[in-house]
Amino acid sequence: MSEPLMVGAVAYTPNVVTIWEGMRDYFAGTSSEMDFVLFSNYGRQVDALIDGTIDVAWNTNLAWVRTVAQTDGACRALAMRDTDTVFQTVFVARAGSNITGLDGLRDRRLALGSQDSAQAAILPVYFLDHAGPGADSVELVRLNSDVGKHGDTGRSELDALRAVLDERADAAAIGVNTWESIGREELMPGAFEAFWESPAYSHCNFTALPDVPAERTQPWLDLLFAMDWDNPEHRPILEMEGLRRWVPPQLDGYASLFEAVREQRIPARW
Amino acid sequence: MVNHGMILDLVEHVGAVARHGMVSVPLGEGDPDELRAAAAAWCARTGNDLVEVQGNVATVRRGRSPNPLGELDPDLLPGTRLWMYTNFDCNLACDYCCARSSPQAARRALGLDRVRQLATEAVDAGVSELILTGGEPFLLPDIDELVAACTAVLPTTLLTNGMLFRGRRLDALRRMDRSRLALQISLDSATSQLHDEHRGRGSWARAVAGIRTAHDEGFRVRVAATLPYEQSAELAPFHAFLDSLGIAPRDQVIRALAHRGAADAGIELTVESLIPEVTITADGVYWHPVSADDDDQLVTRDIFPLQEAITEVRRRFTEVRARATAAAQWFPCA
Repeated sequence: MSEPLMVGAVAYTPNVVTIWEGMRDYFAGTSSEMDFVLFSNYGRQVDALIDGTIDVAWNTNLAWVRTVAQTDGACRALAMRDTDTVFQTVFVARAGSNITGLDGLRDRRLALGSQDSAQAAILPVYFLDHAGPGADSVELVRLNSDVGKHGDTGRSELDALRAVLDERADAAAIGVNTWESIGREELMPGAFEAFWESPAYSHCNFTALPDVPAERTQPWLDLLFAMDWDNPEHRPILEMEGLRRWVPPQLDGYASLFEAVREQRIPARW
Repeated sequence: MVNHGMILDLVEHVGAVARHGMVSVPLGEGDPDELRAAAAAWCARTGNDLVEVQGNVATVRRGRSPNPLGELDPDLLPGTRLWMYTNFDCNLACDYCCARSSPQAARRALGLDRVRQLATEAVDAGVSELILTGGEPFLLPDIDELVAACTAVLPTTLLTNGMLFRGRRLDALRRMDRSRLALQISLDSATSQLHDEHRGRGSWARAVAGIRTAHDEGFRVRVAATLPYEQSAELAPFHAFLDSLGIAPRDQVIRALAHRGAADAGIELTVESLIPEVTITADGVYWHPVSADDDDQLVTRDIFPLQEAITEVRRRFTEVRARATAAAQWFPCA
């Protein structure tokens, strides 16, 4: 039997330990066992992927873009969650604000999450430039909490929402997962309303380099894709990780982020 | 109006703990009922458990708790067996009787009509076995009718001291359905001393005679002994005696003396420590047959509909176990 496939993930919450121990248990005893290494931030995880410390990285969309940049496109995406194929950024304001679209943000204050959050900082600026009045015509209020984790903690997005509640900002850009976690407009009637939702884009994926051959990754992927929402042993892991099934990567969904990173001159590494 | 920031605080604080971990989140100023409702709605929507709200502070467990009912052996699921106290009076006055039964105890009979209705409703409620106990059920003149109402619908066990199988009571016994009824007769020891010490002089010999009579009449007989904890290690002679009476090993039931009812010693059994067995008396629905004369384990005065009584016992069990789990998590010693 070959060595276990070593998967890297970033520890953005204690639940990550439970999730990856569950994943390791799922693969235990199969022909494709795995183990995992947790990192404090995506920068060090991508470094570890490139230097061969780990075989596969569970990467955010920004970590994927940076890995592509640092490997001249030699890396490959293996799989993603079904929810990663339909990720969105949601622009919200106080209920009754009369902001009806991105153009309504002109000369107003927009709260953004961590600078390395694709959904709450990088792509919102991109959407302002390509579907709105341009970022230059909006006052950006940046809330850089938990930089390094690419917005995974969601804390910076909650801080952005607090800024709106406290009238330090007129609107906030957040990921659709955060919008769901606060119950959209339903749990806090009179607090927030969404006035623009972005097109769907791709979020996380499992990333590998060419020196980890398909003979090692494919059996692991076959087992990954076999995880079943209706199987009570698999379901808790899937619920915690926020998906119903693992799916092949949809690389087209990264186009907007590649373009945003280029336009905003975001470095390939820090 | 609900403090809007509380939902953001819930998301942040609960998101920072591991699955099944608990966290206390201040809900801020506002109407306590509205705050509780908003916290409950958020937990329900996001798949977390609201453990409690006290003084505008919510305690939330991340993720859904395992269902305590789902973790039970299916045979132990409350409502699988239904206990009915037919009466509380007894020809004996055992000094450790959990039901405080004696010749002086008021009868407090459940009565044929209620037993019949309970048996009928038990089938629809998913009960798989009925158990009749007392008091001494054979003191009731219509005990055969009560038993018939039960055996007509479900397998039934009848608890008795086995001392009254004579005359019209023996005739009543003979009218019972041997294919659907098991008799559980109380016997505490292989010789008369210990048994008679607690149950009265001569009671051991009559109980043994009752066991033999029941066997001779073709009934399955289970023998149940009540022993103080310190005597529970000296069981070999007792089992050998029961073997000699023809009692199958699976029908030799040994239980510890409970500190309930008339007993002045024994193991402490509380709502928290007992897996409930739905028990009906003339006075209401109780948590367990060992506490059917104790108000601290009264569940409800409403016997009917039976399904609701069973549901309430299960709900309380879930609540009690959730509270125990929460307490265990809150008081680590190291």
